Amino acid sequence: MDYAFFPGCIAKNVYPGIEKATRIVFEKMNVGLHDYPYSCCPPPGVVACYDKDTWYALGARNLALSEPDNRDIMTICAGCYGTLHNVWHELQHNDAKRAYVNEHLGRIGMTYKGTSRPIHFVDLLDGMRDTITQNKEVDLDLRVAVHYGCHYLKPTTVTGENSESPMLLDEIVGLVGCKSIPFKDRLTCCGAGGGVMSGEPELSLKIMERKLKNIKKADVDCIVNICSFCHMNFDQSQKKLESFDIPVLHLNQLLGLAFGVKHKHLGLHMNLVSTRDLVKKVKGAKKGRDEE
Amino acid sequence: MDKTMDDIIREGNAYACIQCGRCTGSCPSGRECGLRTRKIIHMARVGIDVFKTEELWDCTTCFTCQERCPKEVKITDIIIELRNLAVKNSYYPSMADVPKIIIQNLYRTGNGQPLSPEVSKLRSIIGLDKEPNDIAKDKEALADFQKLLDGLPLMRWGGI
Repeated sequence: MDYAFFPGCIAKNVYPGIEKATRIVFEKMNVGLHDYPYSCCPPPGVVACYDKDTWYALGARNLALSEPDNRDIMTICAGCYGTLHNVWHELQHNDAKRAYVNEHLGRIGMTYKGTSRPIHFVDLLDGMRDTITQNKEVDLDLRVAVHYGCHYLKPTTVTGENSESPMLLDEIVGLVGCKSIPFKDRLTCCGAGGGVMSGEPELSLKIMERKLKNIKKADVDCIVNICSFCHMNFDQSQKKLESFDIPVLHLNQLLGLAFGVKHKHLGLHMNLVSTRDLVKKVKGAKKGRDEE
Repeated sequence: MDKTMDDIIREGNAYACIQCGRCTGSCPSGRECGLRTRKIIHMARVGIDVFKTEELWDCTTCFTCQERCPKEVKITDIIIELRNLAVKNSYYPSMADVPKIIIQNLYRTGNGQPLSPEVSKLRSIIGLDKEPNDIAKDKEALADFQKLLDGLPLMRWGGI
Protein backbone atom coordinates (compact mmCIF):
# COMPACT_ATOMS: atom_id res chain seq x y z
CA MET A 1 0.00 0.00 0.00
CA ASP A 2 1.31 3.44 -0.95
CA TYR A 3 0.13 6.89 0.04
CA ALA A 4 1.19 10.45 -0.47
CA PHE A 5 1.97 11.63 3.05
CA PHE A 6 0.65 15.00 4.16
CA PRO A 7 2.24 15.65 7.58
CA GLY A 8 0.86 19.17 8.04
CA CYS A 9 2.77 22.12 9.45
CA ILE A 10 2.29 21.33 13.16
CA ALA A 11 3.67 17.79 12.90
CA LYS A 12 6.55 19.01 10.72
CA ASN A 13 7.41 22.27 12.39
CA VAL A 14 6.22 22.16 16.01
CA TYR A 15 5.80 18.54 17.16
CA PRO A 16 8.16 16.55 14.90
CA GLY A 17 7.65 13.51 17.16
CA ILE A 18 4.25 13.10 15.51
CA GLU A 19 5.80 13.02 12.03
CA LYS A 20 8.47 10.61 13.20
CA ALA A 21 6.01 8.31 14.98
CA THR A 22 3.83 8.23 11.87
CA ARG A 23 6.76 7.25 9.65
CA ILE A 24 7.86 4.49 12.04
CA VAL A 25 4.40 3.06 12.67
CA PHE A 26 3.37 2.98 9.02
CA GLU A 27 6.67 1.50 7.93
CA LYS A 28 6.14 -1.31 10.43
CA MET A 29 2.71 -1.89 8.93
CA ASN A 30 4.17 -1.96 5.40
CA VAL A 31 2.48 1.21 4.20
CA GLY A 32 4.72 3.32 1.95
CA LEU A 33 4.55 7.06 2.66
CA HIS A 34 5.78 9.43 -0.05
CA ASP A 35 6.72 13.10 0.29
CA TYR A 36 5.62 15.91 -2.02
CA PRO A 37 6.40 19.63 -1.97
CA TYR A 38 3.27 20.41 0.00
CA SER A 39 2.41 23.81 1.37
CA CYS A 40 0.38 23.82 4.59
CA CYS A 41 -3.18 22.63 3.99
CA PRO A 42 -3.91 25.82 4.10
CA PRO A 43 -5.42 26.38 7.55
CA PRO A 44 -9.23 26.46 7.59
CA GLY A 45 -9.32 28.91 10.49
CA VAL A 46 -7.25 31.59 8.87
CA VAL A 47 -7.33 31.11 5.11
CA ALA A 48 -10.89 29.77 4.67
CA CYS A 49 -12.25 32.39 7.05
CA TYR A 50 -10.44 35.19 5.17
CA ASP A 51 -10.99 34.07 1.61
CA LYS A 52 -12.56 30.78 0.63
CA ASP A 53 -11.56 30.97 -3.03
CA THR A 54 -7.89 31.16 -2.06
CA TRP A 55 -8.46 28.20 0.26
CA TYR A 56 -9.89 26.14 -2.61
CA ALA A 57 -7.03 27.01 -4.97
CA LEU A 58 -4.21 26.30 -2.49
CA GLY A 59 -5.94 23.14 -1.27
CA ALA A 60 -6.35 21.95 -4.87
CA ARG A 61 -2.65 22.53 -5.52
CA ASN A 62 -1.81 20.14 -2.67
CA LEU A 63 -4.36 17.59 -3.84
CA ALA A 64 -3.07 17.70 -7.42
CA LEU A 65 0.57 16.99 -6.54
CA SER A 66 0.19 13.19 -6.26
CA GLU A 67 -2.33 12.83 -9.10
CA PRO A 68 0.34 11.85 -11.69
CA ASP A 69 1.37 8.98 -9.39
CA ASN A 70 -2.23 7.94 -8.65
CA ARG A 71 -1.67 8.22 -4.92
CA ASP A 72 -4.30 9.11 -2.35
CA ILE A 73 -3.22 11.48 0.40
CA MET A 74 -2.94 10.43 4.01
CA THR A 75 -3.39 13.17 6.62
CA ILE A 76 -2.64 12.96 10.34
CA CYS A 77 -4.40 16.15 11.48
CA ALA A 78 -8.12 16.85 11.55
CA GLY A 79 -7.42 20.41 10.40
CA CYS A 80 -5.50 19.30 7.30
CA TYR A 81 -8.13 16.65 6.67
CA GLY A 82 -10.88 19.24 7.07
CA THR A 83 -9.28 21.46 4.46
CA LEU A 84 -8.26 18.82 1.94
CA HIS A 85 -11.42 16.76 2.21
CA ASN A 86 -13.77 19.74 2.09
CA VAL A 87 -11.92 21.19 -0.90
CA TRP A 88 -11.98 17.82 -2.67
CA HIS A 89 -15.69 17.35 -1.90
CA GLU A 90 -16.64 20.84 -3.10
CA LEU A 91 -14.65 20.47 -6.32
CA GLN A 92 -16.38 17.14 -7.03
CA HIS A 93 -19.74 18.86 -6.95
CA ASN A 94 -19.08 22.41 -8.08
CA ASP A 95 -17.98 22.73 -11.71
CA ALA A 96 -17.72 26.51 -11.58
CA LYS A 97 -15.36 26.33 -8.61
CA ARG A 98 -13.31 23.63 -10.28
CA ALA A 99 -12.96 25.82 -13.38
CA TYR A 100 -11.93 28.74 -11.18
CA VAL A 101 -9.30 26.66 -9.42
CA ASN A 102 -7.92 25.30 -12.68
CA GLU A 103 -7.73 28.76 -14.19
CA HIS A 104 -5.40 29.77 -11.35
CA LEU A 105 -3.41 26.51 -11.25
CA GLY A 106 -2.93 26.89 -15.01
CA ARG A 107 -0.85 30.00 -14.27
CA ILE A 108 1.80 27.72 -12.73
CA GLY A 109 1.40 24.87 -15.19
CA MET A 110 -0.76 22.65 -12.98
CA THR A 111 -4.18 21.03 -13.39
CA TYR A 112 -6.54 19.65 -10.77
CA LYS A 113 -8.39 16.48 -11.73
CA GLY A 114 -9.70 15.25 -8.38
CA THR A 115 -8.33 11.73 -8.84
CA SER A 116 -6.32 11.65 -5.59
CA ARG A 117 -8.52 11.49 -2.52
CA PRO A 118 -7.57 12.69 0.93
CA ILE A 119 -7.93 10.13 3.69
CA HIS A 120 -7.60 10.59 7.44
CA PHE A 121 -5.16 8.02 8.83
CA VAL A 122 -7.62 6.75 11.43
CA ASP A 123 -9.96 5.69 8.62
CA LEU A 124 -7.04 3.86 7.09
CA LEU A 125 -6.34 2.15 10.42
CA ASP A 126 -9.98 1.07 10.54
CA GLY A 127 -9.22 -1.37 7.73
CA MET A 128 -5.91 -2.48 9.24
CA ARG A 129 -6.99 -3.81 12.62
CA ASP A 130 -5.34 -7.18 12.12
CA THR A 131 -2.07 -5.50 11.12
CA ILE A 132 -2.17 -3.39 14.27
CA THR A 133 -2.71 -6.46 16.41
CA GLN A 134 0.08 -8.34 14.65
CA ASN A 135 2.53 -5.48 15.28
CA LYS A 136 1.58 -5.07 18.92
CA GLU A 137 4.41 -5.95 21.27
CA VAL A 138 3.05 -4.40 24.46
CA ASP A 139 -0.44 -4.33 25.91
CA LEU A 140 -0.37 -0.75 27.12
CA ASP A 141 -3.02 -1.10 29.84
CA LEU A 142 -3.64 2.66 29.98
CA ARG A 143 -6.74 4.66 30.80
CA VAL A 144 -7.06 7.21 28.02
CA ALA A 145 -9.27 10.16 27.12
CA VAL A 146 -9.77 10.18 23.37
CA HIS A 147 -10.24 13.33 21.33
CA TYR A 148 -11.49 13.12 17.75
CA GLY A 149 -11.05 16.69 16.50
CA CYS A 150 -14.05 18.55 15.09
CA HIS A 151 -13.00 18.63 11.47
CA TYR A 152 -12.46 14.90 11.30
CA LEU A 153 -16.09 14.37 12.28
CA LYS A 154 -17.92 17.40 10.90
CA PRO A 155 -19.71 18.57 8.80
CA THR A 156 -21.17 15.08 8.41
CA THR A 157 -22.69 16.01 5.04
CA VAL A 158 -19.07 15.97 3.84
CA THR A 159 -17.35 13.48 6.18
CA GLY A 160 -20.11 10.86 6.38
CA GLU A 161 -19.14 10.26 10.03
CA ASN A 162 -21.35 9.88 13.08
CA SER A 163 -20.60 13.10 14.90
CA GLU A 164 -22.60 12.45 18.08
CA SER A 165 -21.36 8.98 19.02
CA PRO A 166 -18.25 8.00 17.08
CA MET A 167 -16.49 4.83 18.28
CA LEU A 168 -13.62 4.26 15.84
CA LEU A 169 -10.86 5.88 17.89
CA ASP A 170 -12.14 4.22 21.07
CA GLU A 171 -11.91 0.88 19.29
CA ILE A 172 -8.44 1.49 17.88
CA VAL A 173 -6.96 2.35 21.28
CA GLY A 174 -8.67 -0.79 22.58
CA LEU A 175 -6.68 -2.90 20.11
CA VAL A 176 -3.46 -2.00 21.93
CA GLY A 177 -4.83 -2.63 25.39
CA CYS A 178 -6.01 0.87 26.30
CA LYS A 179 -9.35 1.66 27.83
CA SER A 180 -11.17 4.73 26.55
CA ILE A 181 -12.69 6.41 29.59
CA PRO A 182 -15.90 8.39 29.07
CA PHE A 183 -15.91 11.99 30.28
CA LYS A 184 -18.35 14.86 30.22
CA ASP A 185 -18.73 16.64 26.87
CA ARG A 186 -16.08 14.41 25.37
CA LEU A 187 -16.84 15.50 21.82
CA THR A 188 -16.69 19.26 22.30
CA CYS A 189 -14.16 21.38 20.50
CA CYS A 190 -10.73 21.94 22.10
CA GLY A 191 -11.01 25.66 21.35
CA ALA A 192 -8.20 25.95 18.81
CA GLY A 193 -10.09 26.16 15.53
CA GLY A 194 -11.56 28.97 13.50
CA GLY A 195 -8.53 31.16 14.08
CA VAL A 196 -9.60 31.52 17.74
CA MET A 197 -6.35 30.17 19.19
CA SER A 198 -4.31 32.70 17.24
CA GLY A 199 -6.83 35.56 17.22
CA GLU A 200 -8.33 35.26 20.70
CA PRO A 201 -6.01 33.16 22.84
CA GLU A 202 -7.82 33.93 26.12
CA LEU A 203 -11.16 32.67 24.82
CA SER A 204 -9.47 29.61 23.38
CA LEU A 205 -7.89 28.88 26.74
CA LYS A 206 -11.25 29.13 28.54
CA ILE A 207 -12.78 26.54 26.22
CA MET A 208 -9.77 24.30 26.78
CA GLU A 209 -9.83 24.75 30.56
CA ARG A 210 -13.41 23.49 30.77
CA LYS A 211 -12.44 20.52 28.63
CA LEU A 212 -9.38 19.70 30.75
CA LYS A 213 -11.40 19.88 33.99
CA ASN A 214 -13.77 17.25 32.59
CA ILE A 215 -10.86 15.06 31.51
CA LYS A 216 -9.15 15.40 34.88
CA LYS A 217 -12.26 14.05 36.63
CA ALA A 218 -12.02 10.93 34.46
CA ASP A 219 -8.61 10.17 36.03
CA VAL A 220 -6.81 9.11 32.86
CA ASP A 221 -3.16 8.34 32.11
CA CYS A 222 -3.16 10.44 28.96
CA ILE A 223 -5.11 12.20 26.24
CA VAL A 224 -4.99 10.54 22.81
CA ASN A 225 -5.78 12.60 19.73
CA ILE A 226 -5.89 12.21 15.96
CA CYS A 227 -5.22 15.87 15.20
CA SER A 228 -1.83 17.58 15.44
CA PHE A 229 -3.47 20.97 15.90
CA CYS A 230 -5.61 19.80 18.85
CA HIS A 231 -2.47 18.05 20.14
CA MET A 232 -0.58 21.34 20.19
CA ASN A 233 -3.47 23.06 21.93
CA PHE A 234 -3.82 20.35 24.60
CA ASP A 235 -0.09 20.36 25.35
CA GLN A 236 0.60 24.11 25.22
CA SER A 237 -2.57 25.14 27.07
CA GLN A 238 -1.79 22.91 30.05
CA LYS A 239 1.52 24.71 30.38
CA LYS A 240 -0.25 28.07 30.31
CA LEU A 241 -2.96 27.03 32.78
CA GLU A 242 -0.42 25.47 35.17
CA SER A 243 -3.07 23.38 36.97
CA PHE A 244 -3.02 20.31 34.74
CA ASP A 245 -0.40 17.72 33.88
CA ILE A 246 -2.12 15.18 31.65
CA PRO A 247 0.27 13.81 29.00
CA VAL A 248 -0.83 14.30 25.40
CA LEU A 249 -0.19 11.66 22.74
CA HIS A 250 -1.02 11.60 19.08
CA LEU A 251 -2.50 8.19 18.23
CA ASN A 252 0.56 7.32 16.15
CA GLN A 253 2.78 7.94 19.19
CA LEU A 254 0.55 5.63 21.25
CA LEU A 255 0.73 2.96 18.55
CA GLY A 256 4.50 3.43 18.46
CA LEU A 257 4.68 2.62 22.20
CA ALA A 258 2.51 -0.44 21.66
CA PHE A 259 4.72 -1.55 18.78
CA GLY A 260 7.69 -1.47 21.14
CA VAL A 261 9.32 1.71 19.80
CA LYS A 262 11.47 3.65 22.28
CA HIS A 263 9.71 6.74 23.58
CA LYS A 264 12.58 9.01 22.55
CA HIS A 265 12.22 7.90 18.93
CA LEU A 266 8.61 9.01 19.16
CA GLY A 267 9.53 12.45 20.44
CA LEU A 268 7.51 12.01 23.63
CA HIS A 269 10.19 13.83 25.62
CA MET A 270 9.56 16.93 23.48
CA ASN A 271 6.08 17.54 24.86
CA LEU A 272 5.67 20.43 27.30
CA VAL A 273 3.65 18.27 29.70
CA SER A 274 5.97 15.56 30.97
CA THR A 275 5.33 12.04 29.70
CA ARG A 276 7.86 10.49 32.10
CA ASP A 277 5.38 8.71 34.40
CA LEU A 278 3.46 7.43 31.43
CA VAL A 279 6.57 6.05 29.79
CA LYS A 280 7.58 4.43 33.10
CA LYS A 281 4.20 2.73 33.30
CA VAL A 282 4.50 1.43 29.73
CA LYS A 283 8.02 0.16 30.41
CA GLY A 284 6.62 -1.67 33.44
CA ALA A 285 4.00 -3.31 31.22
CA LYS A 286 6.69 -4.29 28.71
CA LYS A 287 8.92 -5.70 31.44
CA GLY A 288 6.03 -7.71 32.87
CA ARG A 289 5.38 -9.14 29.44
CA ASP A 290 9.03 -10.03 28.86
CA GLU A 291 9.20 -11.90 32.18
CA GLU A 292 6.16 -13.99 31.41
CA MET B 1 -16.88 35.03 -7.09
CA ASP B 2 -17.95 37.58 -4.52
CA LYS B 3 -21.02 36.71 -2.50
CA THR B 4 -23.56 39.26 -1.31
CA MET B 5 -25.33 39.12 2.03
CA ASP B 6 -28.38 37.84 0.18
CA ASP B 7 -26.40 34.99 -1.45
CA ILE B 8 -25.05 33.97 1.95
CA ILE B 9 -28.48 33.89 3.59
CA ARG B 10 -30.07 31.99 0.71
CA GLU B 11 -27.29 29.44 0.22
CA GLY B 12 -27.07 28.89 3.96
CA ASN B 13 -30.82 28.25 4.23
CA ALA B 14 -31.12 30.94 6.91
CA TYR B 15 -34.77 31.67 6.09
CA ALA B 16 -35.64 28.22 7.46
CA CYS B 17 -34.40 29.21 10.94
CA ILE B 18 -37.12 28.98 13.60
CA GLN B 19 -34.99 30.70 16.25
CA CYS B 20 -35.14 27.67 18.55
CA GLY B 21 -31.67 28.34 19.96
CA ARG B 22 -30.34 24.81 19.78
CA CYS B 23 -27.28 26.24 18.02
CA THR B 24 -26.52 28.64 20.86
CA GLY B 25 -27.12 25.90 23.42
CA SER B 26 -24.60 23.66 21.62
CA CYS B 27 -21.91 26.28 21.13
CA PRO B 28 -18.68 25.59 23.10
CA SER B 29 -17.48 29.12 22.52
CA GLY B 30 -20.76 30.85 23.42
CA ARG B 31 -20.49 29.33 26.92
CA GLU B 32 -17.41 31.43 27.50
CA CYS B 33 -18.12 34.65 25.59
CA GLY B 34 -20.73 36.81 23.90
CA LEU B 35 -21.18 34.75 20.75
CA ARG B 36 -24.86 33.94 20.17
CA THR B 37 -25.26 32.01 16.95
CA ARG B 38 -29.07 32.26 17.01
CA LYS B 39 -28.76 36.02 17.15
CA ILE B 40 -26.27 36.12 14.28
CA ILE B 41 -28.67 34.19 12.03
CA HIS B 42 -31.54 36.45 13.08
CA MET B 43 -29.56 39.65 12.43
CA ALA B 44 -28.43 38.37 9.03
CA ARG B 45 -32.01 37.61 7.98
CA VAL B 46 -33.47 40.96 8.94
CA GLY B 47 -30.85 42.82 6.95
CA ILE B 48 -28.49 44.01 9.67
CA ASP B 49 -24.83 44.13 8.57
CA VAL B 50 -23.91 41.36 10.96
CA PHE B 51 -20.50 40.95 9.32
CA LYS B 52 -19.44 44.04 11.26
CA THR B 53 -19.88 42.39 14.66
CA GLU B 54 -16.77 41.17 16.43
CA GLU B 55 -18.56 38.14 17.96
CA LEU B 56 -18.40 36.58 14.51
CA TRP B 57 -14.73 35.92 15.17
CA ASP B 58 -15.38 34.02 18.43
CA CYS B 59 -16.55 30.92 16.52
CA THR B 60 -14.13 27.98 16.48
CA THR B 61 -15.94 26.55 13.41
CA CYS B 62 -16.55 23.24 15.22
CA PHE B 63 -19.77 22.72 13.21
CA THR B 64 -21.76 21.43 16.22
CA CYS B 65 -24.51 24.03 15.65
CA GLN B 66 -24.79 23.11 11.99
CA GLU B 67 -25.01 19.41 12.80
CA ARG B 68 -27.72 19.89 15.39
CA CYS B 69 -29.88 22.46 13.61
CA PRO B 70 -33.34 20.90 13.19
CA LYS B 71 -34.01 23.04 10.10
CA GLU B 72 -30.72 22.31 8.33
CA VAL B 73 -29.51 25.87 8.44
CA LYS B 74 -25.83 25.82 7.50
CA ILE B 75 -24.87 27.96 10.46
CA THR B 76 -21.11 27.44 10.47
CA ASP B 77 -20.92 27.82 6.69
CA ILE B 78 -22.80 31.12 7.07
CA ILE B 79 -20.40 32.33 9.77
CA ILE B 80 -17.39 31.55 7.55
CA GLU B 81 -18.99 33.35 4.59
CA LEU B 82 -19.82 36.34 6.81
CA ARG B 83 -16.17 36.46 7.87
CA ASN B 84 -15.13 36.48 4.21
CA LEU B 85 -17.53 39.37 3.65
CA ALA B 86 -16.15 41.19 6.70
CA VAL B 87 -12.60 40.85 5.38
CA LYS B 88 -13.61 42.16 1.95
CA ASN B 89 -15.18 45.17 3.62
CA SER B 90 -12.15 45.74 5.86
CA TYR B 91 -14.00 44.86 9.07
CA TYR B 92 -11.16 42.96 10.62
CA PRO B 93 -11.50 42.41 14.32
CA SER B 94 -8.92 44.37 16.28
CA MET B 95 -7.23 41.12 17.32
CA ALA B 96 -6.59 39.90 13.78
CA ASP B 97 -2.87 40.70 13.82
CA VAL B 98 -1.80 37.12 14.50
CA PRO B 99 -3.81 35.66 11.59
CA LYS B 100 -2.07 38.25 9.42
CA ILE B 101 1.31 36.96 10.56
CA ILE B 102 0.15 33.44 9.70
CA ILE B 103 -0.75 34.59 6.19
CA GLN B 104 2.61 36.33 5.83
CA ASN B 105 4.35 33.11 6.94
CA LEU B 106 2.28 31.16 4.45
CA TYR B 107 3.49 33.40 1.63
CA ARG B 108 7.11 33.48 2.74
CA THR B 109 7.61 29.78 3.57
CA GLY B 110 4.59 27.93 2.20
CA ASN B 111 3.59 27.11 5.80
CA GLY B 112 1.38 29.08 8.15
CA GLN B 113 3.52 27.63 10.92
CA PRO B 114 7.13 27.83 9.72
CA LEU B 115 10.10 25.84 10.97
CA SER B 116 12.16 27.44 13.75
CA PRO B 117 15.86 26.73 14.34
CA GLU B 118 14.92 25.09 17.68
CA VAL B 119 12.52 22.62 16.11
CA SER B 120 14.94 21.97 13.26
CA LYS B 121 17.38 20.80 15.94
CA LEU B 122 14.71 18.62 17.58
CA ARG B 123 13.98 17.06 14.20
CA SER B 124 17.55 15.93 13.76
CA ILE B 125 17.72 14.62 17.35
CA ILE B 126 14.94 12.14 16.60
CA GLY B 127 16.39 11.18 13.23
CA LEU B 128 14.27 13.25 10.86
CA ASP B 129 15.73 15.50 8.14
CA LYS B 130 16.62 18.86 9.66
CA GLU B 131 14.28 20.48 7.20
CA PRO B 132 11.02 18.77 6.24
CA ASN B 133 10.89 17.51 2.69
CA ASP B 134 8.27 20.06 1.71
CA ILE B 135 7.67 23.29 -0.17
CA ALA B 136 9.95 25.37 2.07
CA LYS B 137 12.86 23.22 0.90
CA ASP B 138 11.84 23.10 -2.76
CA LYS B 139 12.60 26.62 -3.95
CA GLU B 140 11.08 26.11 -7.37
CA ALA B 141 7.81 24.86 -5.91
CA LEU B 142 7.82 27.77 -3.45
CA ALA B 143 8.30 30.32 -6.25
CA ASP B 144 5.34 28.80 -8.12
CA PHE B 145 3.28 28.79 -4.95
CA GLN B 146 4.00 32.49 -4.42
CA LYS B 147 3.06 33.20 -8.02
CA LEU B 148 -0.19 31.32 -7.45
CA LEU B 149 -0.91 33.27 -4.26
CA ASP B 150 -0.06 36.59 -5.93
CA GLY B 151 -3.06 36.18 -8.23
CA LEU B 152 -5.50 35.01 -5.54
CA PRO B 153 -7.91 37.25 -3.60
CA LEU B 154 -6.43 36.54 -0.15
CA MET B 155 -3.45 38.80 -0.85
CA ARG B 156 -5.82 41.63 -1.72
CA TRP B 157 -8.28 41.13 1.14
CA GLY B 158 -5.70 40.02 3.67
CA GLY B 159 -4.09 43.43 3.39
CA ILE B 160 -0.63 41.89 3.15
